Amino acid sequence: MKALFALVRKELAVLFGSPMAYLVLALVGLVTALLFFDHLRVYNQILFVYTSNASGGFELGTLPERVNLEDQVFLPLMEQLGVTLIGIVPLVTMRVFAEERARGTEEILMTSLLTPSQIVLGKFAATFCFVTLMLTCSLVYPAAAVLRAGLGLPHLAAVALGLFALSLALAAIGLACSAFSANQIMAAVSAYAVAFVIYDFGWLEPFLGAGAGKLLDAISLQPRFVGFAEGIVSLADLAYFAGIIGTAFAVARLGLDVVRVR
Amino acid sequence: MQRLALPGLIAVVFGLGSYYATGEMGPFGIANVALGGGALLLSGIAAARRVHGLAEGAARRILLPRVALCLAVLLGAIAIERLAAHSELHLDWTVDRRFELFPATKSALRTLPSELTATLYHDRADPRARRTRMLLEEFARVGSVRVRVRDLEEAQEDVERFGIRGTNAVVLELRGAYEIVDRPTEGELLEAILRLRGAPTRVLYAAVGEGEGDLESVEASGYSGLASALRTEGYELRGLFTATADQVPEDAGGLLVIGARRTLRPEAAGAVQRYLERGGRLVALIEPGVRSGLEGVIEHFGFAIPDALVIDPAAGPVEGAPAGVNPVVAAYASHPITRGFSNRTLTFFLRARPVEAVHKPEPDDELVSLAFTSPRSWLNFDPAAVHGTSAPRPPPGTVFQRYPLVGAGRYPRPSGEARIVVFGDADFATNQYLRSLYNLDLLMNAIHWALAREDAITLRPKLLTPNQDPLTPQQTLGMLYGVGLLVPELLLIGAAVTWLRRRGA
Repeated sequence: MKALFALVRKELAVLFGSPMAYLVLALVGLVTALLFFDHLRVYNQILFVYTSNASGGFELGTLPERVNLEDQVFLPLMEQLGVTLIGIVPLVTMRVFAEERARGTEEILMTSLLTPSQIVLGKFAATFCFVTLMLTCSLVYPAAAVLRAGLGLPHLAAVALGLFALSLALAAIGLACSAFSANQIMAAVSAYAVAFVIYDFGWLEPFLGAGAGKLLDAISLQPRFVGFAEGIVSLADLAYFAGIIGTAFAVARLGLDVVRVR
Repeated sequence: MQRLALPGLIAVVFGLGSYYATGEMGPFGIANVALGGGALLLSGIAAARRVHGLAEGAARRILLPRVALCLAVLLGAIAIERLAAHSELHLDWTVDRRFELFPATKSALRTLPSELTATLYHDRADPRARRTRMLLEEFARVGSVRVRVRDLEEAQEDVERFGIRGTNAVVLELRGAYEIVDRPTEGELLEAILRLRGAPTRVLYAAVGEGEGDLESVEASGYSGLASALRTEGYELRGLFTATADQVPEDAGGLLVIGARRTLRPEAAGAVQRYLERGGRLVALIEPGVRSGLEGVIEHFGFAIPDALVIDPAAGPVEGAPAGVNPVVAAYASHPITRGFSNRTLTFFLRARPVEAVHKPEPDDELVSLAFTSPRSWLNFDPAAVHGTSAPRPPPGTVFQRYPLVGAGRYPRPSGEARIVVFGDADFATNQYLRSLYNLDLLMNAIHWALAREDAITLRPKLLTPNQDPLTPQQTLGMLYGVGLLVPELLLIGAAVTWLRRRGA
């Protein structure tokens, strides 16, 4: 265990020893801020239009029900945050295995006291720690929207759990892609491709029909994630995300062997 | 061929990215996904040739168990997910428990005579549609309900056929009949299902003849909305002419008295008391400033209803009345009638009098005050003097406290259990205000409880009143500078410092 913790510490030290970690965190903060304030601007504009139309000034009764903070700011923000995470998480995961391989330090790691599975576990753990920190930065705006919209702390907890599960699943996919490659760009792009493909199969529905669409919905990330955004914590959704992480772990472990055999 | 992999991946990313950005798979997306997919296929074939090399001798011995392990983990994950999905275990963490169905809804769904088809019509940009779909899926978990979701644009024929007026509308179809629900909350859907199903009836007598509220009047001051809701939920309404009646009929499931404007004849009041003594059920809505004649009966059963106006300074000037005169209630006692009520489910009264549970006629009786004004409330004993727009002022020595506006009592007797619910206002149930906030729920739940139909108690809106407040420019700027810019700025400074230190090293 000591060796495993040492590996996790080393991974985190490498991550925070480079500007990349700070850049990614800053990027997450800026992008989510941009999205949040853009939705807020549109929402305030809609309110302004209704205020202008209601000659007596701002009156809540004149607003359609759908114009509210939850539907106009919070839910669109959550939708876009999911896609944003796909864009950002591979930036963190691309280097984890690929960099070791490119620098030739993988052999040194393989001859350490750690088994290959422990190496994969250590790298997963370190990446998950960073992704959790990143998530904290991105949660500020959903939290502000949830609390401002009066949705309550349990709903916020569900949202946080959903974002956490999605981020870890995306990180696991990114790590599995990184485990097969010595090239960071290739690792990142393949992680993008896999994540984009399984994020939402809705685009296939018009070609395959509603029946197949329902089946594809069951294996897509996005329909699972929105349940949390709506405040529902489902055991099936948690099992789905855990399954992706577990499978990605096994695939990453396979990746180490494939590269070694090559 | 393997060099095609990277361009292929990029094409797939951009193709799918265009779908996520626009919500549609246009020619750009299709071309990118097709070309990218083709490139990946070709590079995959090339990779497969290499795998063929990998699958020989020692390499095969190392890799095959790993591939088998991957497949086993994948299959295990699918099996666990399917088991979890089969268990249907989920937690509703929404503030208003909007996906947890009330017993009344569950009961209606479990006893459907045949399969109910619920079709949700929506436009793609409407975020409420997903919530409605999830609610309908919850219905499908409980009863024989088939849920369909249709895009409004693609269902013009249905729009014309059913007369659908807008997005997020649900059409319920049962045995050839249909109902449209424009605002699909749990309660509205339940009412539509009950209308389609034809619920069992109970006879509810409504007192008439002394200026009581008119259940047939569709005017704003009428009570036809209440009558409609009662019929929907299985009550047959009949009039009891208190000007001539000397007894409440034997077949009465309950008696409803809505805001009598004149004093009831003593014989009629006596008939009501005798009816209650033999286990009758009474729901009385008593206005302030009016001697209804029921005061004696109500006081006999343990309630004090002083002829005073409850002034609650916490309530602003509503409906043209001075501040404090029309209280908005947010505090409720725990009782089957107020099940699901909280400080977020508000009810709205117009010029109400207090209804205090003061003494139990018998030790086994249960009396409860149900809905309370704010602790800053006081009593004005001259209701007629409160008019105009200036807020009434409390005289010196006034006692400030919460005042109950609704009371409920159970009276077990050898001849049967009597139940009484008294409201200190009748205007809150008029057509104009019945569906304001949670007024309908409180009144309907009271009637259900009084008639021992606890299983019918529900919350009709079952929807958080959406927050439509604007954020002020100060709040927005505070968030922008405080979190939106400051945190990323500090992180970028951290990145710069790290980069400089590495460069120095």
